[in-house]
Amino acid sequence: MLNQFEKILRRFFEKNSHRFEESGSLHKFRPLFEAMETIFFIPAIKTRRPPFVRDGIDLKRFMSIVLLALMPPMFFGIYNTGYQSLAAAGQAFNFFDVILSGLLTVMPLIIVSYAAGFFWEILFSIVRKHPISEGFLVTGLLFPLTLPPTVPLWQVAVGISFGVVIGKEVFGGTGRNIFNPALTARAFLFFAYPAKMSGDTVWVAVSNTASSAANAVTGATPLAMTTLGGSFDNLESMLQNAGYTLTRLFVGNYPGSVGATSALCCLIGALILIITGVASYRIIIGGVAGLLVTSFLFGLFSSSPLNPWMDVNPIYHLVAGGFAFGIVYMATDPVSAPGTTTSKWVYGFLIGMLTILIRVFNPAFPEGVMMAILFLNLFAPLFDFIEIRLRIGKRIPNV
Amino acid sequence: MKTVKIKKGWPFKKIAGKPSLRVESRPAKKHVAFLPDKLPFVKPRLLVAKGDKVKIGSVLFEDKKNTDFKFLSPGSGEIADITYGPRRVIEEIIIALDADESAESFKTYTASDIEKLDRNTAISEMMAGGMWSFVRQLPFRAIAEPDSKPNAIWVTMGSADPFQPSPGLYLKDQTGFFEFGIHVLRRLADTVNICWYEDRSAKNDSPAKADQTIAHQMATHRIRGKYPASDAGVVLFHTKKSAEENRDWYLDGQDVVLIGKFFKNGIFPIDRIVAFSDGSPENSCHIKTRTGIRLNDLAAHEIGISNPRWVVGGVFCGYTGSGKGFLGQHETSVMIIEESEESEFFGFARPGFKKLSNSRTVASAMLPGPLSIDADMHGEERPCVNCGYCANICPVDIMPQYTYKSIFADEVEEALGHGLLDCVECGLCSFVCPSKIELTDTLVEAKHLYLKELNQVA
Repeated sequence: MLNQFEKILRRFFEKNSHRFEESGSLHKFRPLFEAMETIFFIPAIKTRRPPFVRDGIDLKRFMSIVLLALMPPMFFGIYNTGYQSLAAAGQAFNFFDVILSGLLTVMPLIIVSYAAGFFWEILFSIVRKHPISEGFLVTGLLFPLTLPPTVPLWQVAVGISFGVVIGKEVFGGTGRNIFNPALTARAFLFFAYPAKMSGDTVWVAVSNTASSAANAVTGATPLAMTTLGGSFDNLESMLQNAGYTLTRLFVGNYPGSVGATSALCCLIGALILIITGVASYRIIIGGVAGLLVTSFLFGLFSSSPLNPWMDVNPIYHLVAGGFAFGIVYMATDPVSAPGTTTSKWVYGFLIGMLTILIRVFNPAFPEGVMMAILFLNLFAPLFDFIEIRLRIGKRIPNV
Repeated sequence: MKTVKIKKGWPFKKIAGKPSLRVESRPAKKHVAFLPDKLPFVKPRLLVAKGDKVKIGSVLFEDKKNTDFKFLSPGSGEIADITYGPRRVIEEIIIALDADESAESFKTYTASDIEKLDRNTAISEMMAGGMWSFVRQLPFRAIAEPDSKPNAIWVTMGSADPFQPSPGLYLKDQTGFFEFGIHVLRRLADTVNICWYEDRSAKNDSPAKADQTIAHQMATHRIRGKYPASDAGVVLFHTKKSAEENRDWYLDGQDVVLIGKFFKNGIFPIDRIVAFSDGSPENSCHIKTRTGIRLNDLAAHEIGISNPRWVVGGVFCGYTGSGKGFLGQHETSVMIIEESEESEFFGFARPGFKKLSNSRTVASAMLPGPLSIDADMHGEERPCVNCGYCANICPVDIMPQYTYKSIFADEVEEALGHGLLDCVECGLCSFVCPSKIELTDTLVEAKHLYLKELNQVA
């Protein structure tokens, strides 16, 4: 079966490749053809220069490991979106209904994100005569997972277009961007259409119901609760009264961004990324440490009623909101993160710290991790520069 | 004895077909050759023509930059052909061997003669005797500059690359020549450092063990670590105290044996122990042969590989050709690897139980091996994503991902600051790169360009 499929594909690509040659009628679309062909077949290219043996890893495998690590949050996101939606609608449902409802909400987001993003990728590849890079496969999936399920599809298309074009291609394409393109896209939506993105309205995609049903769900995402008014003597008990227990926040079964609610799934993804060596454990551990240390210190100095978030148990900060997703999948993007080892610790730590600072002191942003990562992206080259200077200083000069 | 431990590098253990310690003898059948273009930075002026008769040790050509510097024939017979490459580079001087091979004779020395030998005479004897090209100089790995005085000469024995000959075999019955060679080297520099690479896996192999005693007596440094820990440049990088040591000289233990033979016996030595591997455990062994042999003559058996690629001098830093090529004057390792023609279906999604990789993204990372290797890129070139694999593996702490960018930006000072000249040209950065960027090549070319500019200034 698979063999036959392979043969048919081989014949298809062999037959059509002449159309995309220099003289062929479709020569302009060569990057697209190549991208399609190399998804199915890793071409046999002989080594010409030493070393004559090369590692079995290539950028496709590198990126597909990230995609693999994104599977747990994605599948959980589909389930959770469906569950929240049906629970809000107050209908009786079984597991199959939940998945179906989730797929109906989430798949359009992913499809639109990929379609709109690939349009730009292909356009830039054709104009620049570059091969299409695999990096977008990750960006195109990361972006919809950070969105609320209620976001209109046209906003998804606008957001990913901004992320790909302004976040990446204007800098020269893959490997040259300063900011993480998926986060750039999200930040654009966040500031351009704040009503849909800030998290203080209900983030549950309720399909085919009367609007009144939405009242059945508790108001906002956990991190947006403080902005809703009311008394804040003890935020933890308030969260718990609203049903946001620590376990629930950890598992992720609450309304929020499609794929970013579950710290558990992010933990699984983090393990995949760290064990395979694709993402830097320094950034992830540094980030978690930064978050815990900072929130612990705030706990020590809090004067309780003034700012309820200062008092929260650091573990709550760790599992609530998008921090886990951000530090595992966004902060570890090697292009926009620093490349030197000590800098990675510092970079991760500061992301954790800044996340807490924003969560605690900036009521305009209920979630701080997006801003924290983008802000530290900006500083990554500086960290690299400083560390390289220090390393050069330590070397015995050789000129 | 100092122990030098080198942490970074690549453990060479998973590749199949490690040459066994069995030694087979393979004579040259018809032709031998000298390969002038494999000598770094030598501009040859031919002193023979096609049809000339030569003996072993007759002068074939000299260096245009220093005409005292001669290169001698590895065989006796008639010059059958001289082949040229692009820009009239002399690639091969092929000699058709005659039946009774005769040899030129040179002055013989006793141990006490060597004690009295002064530096300049030693160097001119070596240059006239074709021995000088064994002595190399860091950091450009050029043939040593005879006028310069190095801080030390490094002799390396054993390699972290198991496809290089084992010192136990080339020292067998030759330790007298080795010691003699070391005495000659002591005339050239005040310090001669002898590095013994301690191969943990070969500890129980008896021939290696027998000669460990001699090596232990003479060695000044014991080297431990992964490939390329045994390289003189790596050892120097991890032991040097000042910038004056950067221009040290180095040579391989087997070449020291040849130098000892040249001075003691007064003949131009052509015998070689070569580590041979075709990936199969039966055929991979050590071969006692001669320098300049045709590669096909080394394989006494049918090669079981459909698209063979011959790699001479190690898969990470040697040169490549077909079986019709010849063994270079300084190469002691020959490997035959597969050159695949077929593209791989769904390559990126396969677990990769048979893929060789330094990363843990392939399933073979969990398996002990051994794996067969091939001459395939395993992917297409892509932009650098700053994954840092190259910097993690570089044995001399260069960060190639930044250095190659500064080279492309023509920031020579920056690249030199990063440690460009410390680069030992081991090939590991290119090997591990998931974007398949030719990092080693870029760095080596930048070094060569820098050397050219240095020479222009001088």
